[in-house]
Amino acid sequence: MKFGKRLKQQMDQSLGDWRDKFLSYKELKKMVNLISSKGALEYDAQFLNLLDHEIDKFNAFFIEQEEDFIIRHKELQERISQVIHKWGPQPSHMEYKEEMTNIRKQIVNFHGEMVLLINYSNINYTGLGKIVKKYEKRTGGVLRVHFIERVWEQPFFTTDLISKLVKDCETTIETVLPPSTATGIFHEEEAAKAIFRNSVAALLSMQEMRRGSSTYSQFSLPPLNLPDFELIQSLQLISPIQIHHV
Amino acid sequence: METKHALPIQRSGPRQISSVGASASLSAAFPIPSTVLEETYPSFSEPQQVSLERELMQRPPAVVSSLSSHSGAVGHIFSSSSGFSTDLHFSSVQQQLEKHTTQSPFISQSSSSGKSVKLPHSVDSQLLQSTASSHFNRESNESWCTDTLPDFLDFPMSTTIQSSQLYGSNSSGITIPHEDLGKGNDWQDWADQLITDNDALTADWSGLLADASVAEPEPKHSQQCTSVSNQQPHIPQQVPSTPGEICTGGAQSSSNAAPGKQRMRWTPELHETFVEAVNKLGGSERATPKGVLKLMKVEGLTIYHVKSHLQKYRTARYKPETTEESSERKPPSIEDFSSLDLKTGIEITEALRLQMEVQKRLHEQLEIQRNLQLRIEEQGKYLQMMFEKQCKSGTDLLKGASSSSENALKELKDSSAVEAENKVSEGEPAKRSVETSQMAGEKQKAPEGVPSSPPTKRKKVDEEVPLSS
Repeated sequence: MKFGKRLKQQMDQSLGDWRDKFLSYKELKKMVNLISSKGALEYDAQFLNLLDHEIDKFNAFFIEQEEDFIIRHKELQERISQVIHKWGPQPSHMEYKEEMTNIRKQIVNFHGEMVLLINYSNINYTGLGKIVKKYEKRTGGVLRVHFIERVWEQPFFTTDLISKLVKDCETTIETVLPPSTATGIFHEEEAAKAIFRNSVAALLSMQEMRRGSSTYSQFSLPPLNLPDFELIQSLQLISPIQIHHV
Repeated sequence: METKHALPIQRSGPRQISSVGASASLSAAFPIPSTVLEETYPSFSEPQQVSLERELMQRPPAVVSSLSSHSGAVGHIFSSSSGFSTDLHFSSVQQQLEKHTTQSPFISQSSSSGKSVKLPHSVDSQLLQSTASSHFNRESNESWCTDTLPDFLDFPMSTTIQSSQLYGSNSSGITIPHEDLGKGNDWQDWADQLITDNDALTADWSGLLADASVAEPEPKHSQQCTSVSNQQPHIPQQVPSTPGEICTGGAQSSSNAAPGKQRMRWTPELHETFVEAVNKLGGSERATPKGVLKLMKVEGLTIYHVKSHLQKYRTARYKPETTEESSERKPPSIEDFSSLDLKTGIEITEALRLQMEVQKRLHEQLEIQRNLQLRIEEQGKYLQMMFEKQCKSGTDLLKGASSSSENALKELKDSSAVEAENKVSEGEPAKRSVETSQMAGEKQKAPEGVPSSPPTKRKKVDEEVPLSS
């Protein structure tokens, strides 16, 4: 499947206010097609402008989200320590259980949102790479390598902090989850569903994007082999049925 | 290097150049770099020009060879203006150059962090707009013009607000010769390229000399057209241990156009400081941005940053507090609730686990994908370099090396893919079955255009084929 389609799919499945923050891949592609091989320079400048504008967009959104995550992360930690401090000695207390359930949900959702932000970063980066590759093909310029290097320096690409917070969540959830039992069904919470759905879609689309295509080259990523591909795919089928509204 | 042929730039005779015209045209050519020499800014318009002349003089062989049409221009200007001011200011030029070079780490940092190209709307000074449009017209002439242009515009963005003042002071001097410049804009472009070369992070004099002699438009990759906007602070790839970073560069071109508003990237450490300050002031409701700002004592932090952050902080605290209260107020009817609770509790927990697993998987894959993408780029560059080297040493060697290089790349990718699979299977819950993976493998289309099929190569353990040099 083409990248543009996959991107759109992800955008559709994404959390509401994220939708217009993704790469305007279609628009950029149109521009590239307008550019003749000699380089009609008005389009060139326009194209480059738009690229810059897109990157600005990513950076702004990313930094906002990151700030929010930092705040939430701290708050979560605070809350956990408060709850444990208050009711730790009697974990069977009703309120403790309630609180903990809430906290667990929050952690998992929080984790999910952060991972989706990383996904956001990655998919935009991939899109940028593709579009600049197309551009280079048309104009024969030597834009791409250096452009990509510039992108590496951008805030939206430097996801290390978010990754760290994600890993933090993963360890935290282990400490607050009770030991696991057998099967389960999906819970009702809307936000969780949205995140979940988006994660599944993201995983699958990653796999799709990395399948062999006509333009497979030495620069392409190798195919992604998800071991429980079947399971994940079935998750994608099931979840829409459970959801009452988007 | 004295040539006396009449330049298209100067309609009048050479002698007139050595008067105001020379300085004006030079100032037209070099308005930007003079902003870089910040400490000389206050009143040294002349020495700046001269120091730049000197830079030009150091480079004439390189640039002249690549731009033969301008060689005359170089020589001419120098000869005419050499009598004008060079001798007088030679010593000061020396000093300034030294200052400049010692300054360059700082400058290059800010320039690397502050590169932005927003041609139509973010440019404040008229100069830039007028030269921008003229540059567009000229771009068809020389390919490297396109390289030069954005970086020419970069500099005002990447330097401090002082630069705008400089434009103001020079604007009269700038506009006049600008109109006179017919083909003269080329001279401007060329000069700009020198200047931007000089000030770019990778100021690579020898590189320029080498590349210029080959007359390639490529050498200065740092001046590609899409020098990407980076108004935000320059963040290193590792998580910064310093408390937050603030853009020292151009405030002018922020997309929100709020005066003095620079984008701030918060870190956990900085946030800690923030929270401490807020708590000292009596909590999020009572603390004021001003008070917090004062307490935090973080350089470069503005009240706007604190204000917006405080707002976010309050929102974040308010929401969980309300949910907490409402859950506490629920009167627990113990028996019914507990049995129901147990069932749904387990289900909920299991659902959470599942969600968590999917998310973890996604995160893992994202990391792997990102690493792969980076490695592929690196490898690509390396191959390109090898390719070029081989080109020089003959075609036979070329064939041998590039095919082995390609094999090496495939090995690298395959070994990474093996890595990826191993990593995934390690993190795998007990659900995974061998059948699933086999089926998944079969579902993969064999990538086209790749001579050797990856699935078979996947069985190989990590192997890096050393490239023949």
